[in-house]
Amino acid sequence: MTLRHIISIFLEDRLARIGLLLLALFVGAAVLAPWLSPHDPHRMFDGMLPPSRDHLLGTNDLGYDLFAELLQGARYSLALAASAAVVSTLIGAVLGVVAGYYRGAGFVLMRLVDVFLAVPRFPLIVLIAAFARPGFLTLFLFFVLFGWPSVARIVRARILTERQQEYVLAAHAIGAPGRRIMLRHLLPASLPVAFVRFVAEMQHVIMAEAGLSFMGLGNPTTRSWGMTLSYASRYPALLITDVWQWWVLPPGLAITLICLALAFLGLGLERVSNPRLRAAAAPAGIRKSTENRAPRKGTTRGWTRYARSHQLEREGLVSGLVRLTMRSSAAPCLSCGSSRTVCQDTDGGAEIRCIKKQALFQ
Amino acid sequence: MLKTVQFALTVWLVLTLNFLLPRLMPGNPLADLDNPLGAPVPLSQEARARIMAYYGLDQPLPIQYQNYLRGLARGDLGWSIYYKAPVGHVLVGRLRWTLGLVGVATVLYVGLGVVLGAVSAWQRGSALDQGLLLTTFATGAFPAFFLAMLLIVLFAVKLKWLPLGGAQSVALLLAPWPQRTVDIARHMVLPVLALLLTSLADVYYLTRNSLGQVLGEGYITVARAKGLRERTLLFRHALPNALLPVVTLASLRLGTIVMGAMLVEVTFAYPGIGQAIYEASIARDYPLLQGAFLVTMLSIMAANLLADGLYGLLDPRVRRAP
Repeated sequence: MTLRHIISIFLEDRLARIGLLLLALFVGAAVLAPWLSPHDPHRMFDGMLPPSRDHLLGTNDLGYDLFAELLQGARYSLALAASAAVVSTLIGAVLGVVAGYYRGAGFVLMRLVDVFLAVPRFPLIVLIAAFARPGFLTLFLFFVLFGWPSVARIVRARILTERQQEYVLAAHAIGAPGRRIMLRHLLPASLPVAFVRFVAEMQHVIMAEAGLSFMGLGNPTTRSWGMTLSYASRYPALLITDVWQWWVLPPGLAITLICLALAFLGLGLERVSNPRLRAAAAPAGIRKSTENRAPRKGTTRGWTRYARSHQLEREGLVSGLVRLTMRSSAAPCLSCGSSRTVCQDTDGGAEIRCIKKQALFQ
Repeated sequence: MLKTVQFALTVWLVLTLNFLLPRLMPGNPLADLDNPLGAPVPLSQEARARIMAYYGLDQPLPIQYQNYLRGLARGDLGWSIYYKAPVGHVLVGRLRWTLGLVGVATVLYVGLGVVLGAVSAWQRGSALDQGLLLTTFATGAFPAFFLAMLLIVLFAVKLKWLPLGGAQSVALLLAPWPQRTVDIARHMVLPVLALLLTSLADVYYLTRNSLGQVLGEGYITVARAKGLRERTLLFRHALPNALLPVVTLASLRLGTIVMGAMLVEVTFAYPGIGQAIYEASIARDYPLLQGAFLVTMLSIMAANLLADGLYGLLDPRVRRAP
């Protein structure tokens, strides 16, 4: 798969596009925070001001501008999540590739991974945080230390199948050194699954940091979304007056939206890394047209066009499939005579195969 | 065999971390007493040494470690400074609330996730499927405590249907049991709902994909060719095979749901382990904190081990594998 191919598969998914857009919005807000912010987040105004033109989200009990705090929180949460996820994914991917290539060392490493994965992370960081209110660096180190094992495990599993592929065996046969095979062939092949973990890691870090801060165990000087929520939760009349609408709702929704964006990205990346989750990509040129859209279930209209635009054309099964309905109906496949054809839809598209011919096409 | 060794290693790691962490931190337990601001009377050298000896803190670390392990073996988790009671006693009282909360939420989210996932896999591509996918992912993106706050605002403050927090009403403590049960159940609704909605997505999505895959297998075609009804096909033939990965997932998710439960307990002032950890960290009641940490860690790990064994029972292929 070329990079362009991967991107085109990824962007075919509407949810993945939405996720990418949302994430870009948040990253943009975080990067541009100093210019977007109407006030210095460290400047104090009157306390508990309701939203106004000057203070878009009002001020908190100490008089800090809540909109400025929201932007500042985006910087902190995103910087922590992205850096921890990048580093743990890199370490995990490299170790996973090595562990998949050298199987003896891999076995030992995987036992270590098992031990790490068996330790519940959140209670542990809570205990650490209770003793030393952790700043950025401590949290970063902790999330990296407990983030790499899951990446290593999933990458290694991928490598174990990938190393049996013919191109890898061929590289071996012509005498390519292990370092080259790992760097040039195996590492790129593991990238899609590693990216799926990367997104999940980011989500976990954002949630865990918010939860930790909410429990009052963050460093009191940091300004993250979790800290804002934590201070808000200590305000006595928070939920019984209207205050929650501008104090709790914006940071809470920010966390929710960014986690949703990451979840959508994860869905799209999973489609890239797992071909079973998608129908074969339509040939270039007709992707944007209506022909790529699956016809309605239970009708006969549109199926010829749909089948033609998908892999079925290559398989020469087009003519017989007009009478199929989408879900699990059995109908004769005209291209191969009397056998049954099962039509099954997978994620977002349709996959149509002829039972008799199946062996030929796999 | 390997599994057992690994489990023992993990338990040892957790116990040791629990012992080492406070001792690795800067300062010492008497810092507050030495501090001229913290102590009413300056501590003499002799008194200081006496206190250190009394708590065994003058011993070298390996001896302290031995004593710590011996204490644990006797079930001695230490003395809670805040509650002035043995940590074990405090935690047993708290544990039933957390177990109830996590137990009910787990049963509900796994059950609902499987049913919704099956519906989605069966109707793949329909508006219903897309709607379910979007809804579960949207609720799953909420941090549990944030969703809990919104639920409080809606159902407790605005609609006044359910209580604001706590596990039971003080006024009903001496009421007859049917009334108390209803009361406890009413207090449980919102915390369980918050946990359920935030945990649903994973099980739902896995069931949907795994069932979708199973529905494409040959034996399903054979079953269909026999003329079985769709419902029999789905629930008798396809679902049991699709559920195997769900068991693993539910056990892996236990750590996450406990994290959610801790935060939800704090939001609802629900008197479980999470609330105990929260109170202990505010009151700097370190023995209680460490005890709660150990109980949480060990129960999650034990549950995971149990799920591992259950998996072997459910799937003969795993049992036969070396």
